[in-house]
Amino acid sequence: MLRILHGTNYDFIRWWKWAAGITAAFLLIGLGSLFINPPNYSIEFTGGTLMQLEFASPAEAGRIRGALENGGVRGAEIQQFGSNREYTVRAQDASHVQTQAGGAETVANRIESVLKQQFGPDKLRIIRTEAVGPRVGSELRRGAIIAILISFLLTLIYLSIRFEWRFAAAAVVATLHDIIGTVAFVTLMNLEISLTVVAGLLTVLGYSLNDTVIIFDRVRENLRKGRKEPLYETLNRSINETLPRSILTHATALASTVALLIFAGEVIRPFAWVMTFGIFTGTFSSIYIAAPILLWIEQKWPRRAGTRQSSSTVTPTSRTRRSTATATR
Amino acid sequence: MSLKVRLLIIFGLAAASLWALFPRTVVERVKRNGEIVYDTVKRVPLKKGLDLQGGMHLSLEIDESKGSVGNKTEAIERALKVVRTRIDEFGVAEPLVQKAGNDRIIVELPGIDDPRRAQDVVQKSAFLEFQITDETQALEKALPRLDALLKGKNVGAAGVGAEPKKDSIAGAAGLQSLLTADTSKKADSAKTDTAAALLTGGAGAFSKLIQQGQMPGEYYVAQKDVDLLTRYLALPEVVNVLPPGKVVRWSGDTVSLGNSIYRAIYVLDAKPIITGEFLTDAKPNNSPQDGNIVEFTFNNVGARRFRNETSRHIQDYMAIVLDQRVMGRPPVIQSAIGSRGQITMGGKDLQAAQDLALVLRAGSLPVPLKVAEVRQIGASLGQDSIQKGITAGLIAIALVVFIMIGYYRFAGVLAVAGLALYILYTLAALAGFDAVLTLPGLAGFILSIGIAVDANVLIFERIREELALGKTIRTSVDEGFRNAMSAIVDSEVTTALTAAVLYQYGTGPVRGFAVTLLAGIAASLFTAIFVVRTFFLVWLHRSPDSRTLSI
Repeated sequence: MLRILHGTNYDFIRWWKWAAGITAAFLLIGLGSLFINPPNYSIEFTGGTLMQLEFASPAEAGRIRGALENGGVRGAEIQQFGSNREYTVRAQDASHVQTQAGGAETVANRIESVLKQQFGPDKLRIIRTEAVGPRVGSELRRGAIIAILISFLLTLIYLSIRFEWRFAAAAVVATLHDIIGTVAFVTLMNLEISLTVVAGLLTVLGYSLNDTVIIFDRVRENLRKGRKEPLYETLNRSINETLPRSILTHATALASTVALLIFAGEVIRPFAWVMTFGIFTGTFSSIYIAAPILLWIEQKWPRRAGTRQSSSTVTPTSRTRRSTATATR
Repeated sequence: MSLKVRLLIIFGLAAASLWALFPRTVVERVKRNGEIVYDTVKRVPLKKGLDLQGGMHLSLEIDESKGSVGNKTEAIERALKVVRTRIDEFGVAEPLVQKAGNDRIIVELPGIDDPRRAQDVVQKSAFLEFQITDETQALEKALPRLDALLKGKNVGAAGVGAEPKKDSIAGAAGLQSLLTADTSKKADSAKTDTAAALLTGGAGAFSKLIQQGQMPGEYYVAQKDVDLLTRYLALPEVVNVLPPGKVVRWSGDTVSLGNSIYRAIYVLDAKPIITGEFLTDAKPNNSPQDGNIVEFTFNNVGARRFRNETSRHIQDYMAIVLDQRVMGRPPVIQSAIGSRGQITMGGKDLQAAQDLALVLRAGSLPVPLKVAEVRQIGASLGQDSIQKGITAGLIAIALVVFIMIGYYRFAGVLAVAGLALYILYTLAALAGFDAVLTLPGLAGFILSIGIAVDANVLIFERIREELALGKTIRTSVDEGFRNAMSAIVDSEVTTALTAAVLYQYGTGPVRGFAVTLLAGIAASLFTAIFVVRTFFLVWLHRSPDSRTLSI
């Protein structure tokens, strides 16, 4: 039987101050850079035009820019995309977005005609066009925020029903940490915040909760066994008991995200980055955010002796279990 | 539940899934040699989103820039019908036209190669009117008032060139100097003065821009003055002074007289003698004199009315106005016209004639529409995405298989068998619910492969714990599944809640992602709890004396 980190007895919680320090530093740096260097929203959210072009022969970004400036499309961002025959043109500033209020296609049509005039109509092909008017953009922004808030609310309610409010609150704080952490990561990596990235963010939310729930499930179970030990011990025990599972699950999940990151292409890469980071932060927060917060809540609002109702329903099996759990094999 | 029943359920579902995913022949609209025909095609019944197969996505909303629309909901319903009819005739396989929210129409055209043309067909109002040109010289009568009104008035951008430059224009231009070449020179000098002066009305500001044409109600405007005159005509004061009961419409074409290019503008009776609503048919044609044309036919009611009206207007000129543009030069009415007529395309190609005929047949849009969002993806890019997605997926599967079998050995093999069924079930569920597979959906699916084994891991770890307690294999397996249940259910439900929210608030590609996530959760619950359990039971059944379990 191959075993990884089996029957461990690490004192995870002891290091929570260090962990809190590290995460606080990361969040501060991330959020700080958020102010210095505002996040890169995709045109879905800001409105604007994105075009992916393929030229028949290698073209220079400077020449494309010159043609666009002369043709009245000022301030467009031009980026090489893969080979030197493929470029993306992005017109995202306020003036372009405003032009698109009357019809989202206007700027795209202008870019096309200007470039075809400059390079010749059969010398370039338009592979992809995305043009979003300002109204659609603002609606999507609102939709994304509402979606995140509602997921929070729903999971809070569900966890409150399945666990008790202490667990739910701790889980939500941990998840909140992950969302902020992921946003900080996105900013530091200078990834573009698109709808897909927001979907990735919500998936991270689900994944991180998932992880917290697994540990809390163990805590709930260990509490029911009615051991006479402080919650501190129970938390550590639960984390240690679920450790092999955590390692295995994160390994398989990472296998998927890394495959996406390397092989699935440019369009999916930001999403894959978000998920890869999410797996790490989700694991981290389950242990170092959710558990300490639960401990803190417990100290602040201690449960009365009688509320551990499950202490009376200790089963014989779990008693035996307890005696062997500490025995090393 | 007996073992046989369990196996029956698993393989029954697997068979059903295979059947659901098997390539089948379906009757589809396909484009062949420019014609739309129904034909049988063989394909896997998994629908690909536009981002994977290439095509165009348009989101349209009511354009209120030229006046507000009263009942939007009703207007959008009617517009939806018109757009649908047009798209059905346009010639795309499997188009999608649907309402989104209360005020938007979504049009999806897979595999479209000429997005601009498609957009034109969708957006054209196609409001056809037949109007008699003005015979009363109403505009000439109004000219002095128009000139007086514009004299000294600043029509430029606010604050720019506020000072009228009257002195730069020598003499009072007016009706009398309308046709002299002299006026246009003066106009030129006035225009070149400064940019501000261009926007500033001087004496004869209006009349100097126009020249009498060859038929009543027809005027020519130099191409360079078209913008200025358009701006004048939009001024509320000017609108008030324009002759009542008349409308002013630009021609759709330009004409060249001598060295300069002109655009005709027409003063027409505001009340059309007939509109396009009585049209029954329109088809493109080509005539030796007029080039490309669209021939149309009125229904009986329309024909009667058209005959009556035209017989009252013999020797008058009739303008054919499409979307407020006069098409071709208004012909003179020789005798009463019945049910047939034609629109000349004025040098535009046959394709344009075809498209115009199409939109005329489908009827006019009740409200103008504008594009709120457009996404267009080339088919090659979509193909490329699928290819890369499959590569990433295969590598993810290989890694997951390696980890699971490497760590859990025999139990890992059972989990991998479960994973294979998971993939099969998920894809079948997507096909069954007619879900659309998008690029984020594909990514979500690959991700779910790595996450789906989580339930297996939870169970296997529990079984290991139970075995470590010295329990028999059978009891350990039972206890392992039972104890892992609450964690599995709780974690899957929280993920499902998130996916449901994404589905509710997401659009297009993200929705595809949410759907794959939801299908994946259901399939993973089923395979981990039921399928892999059954595999264990089969194994226990076949080797009941087993002392060790490779896990």
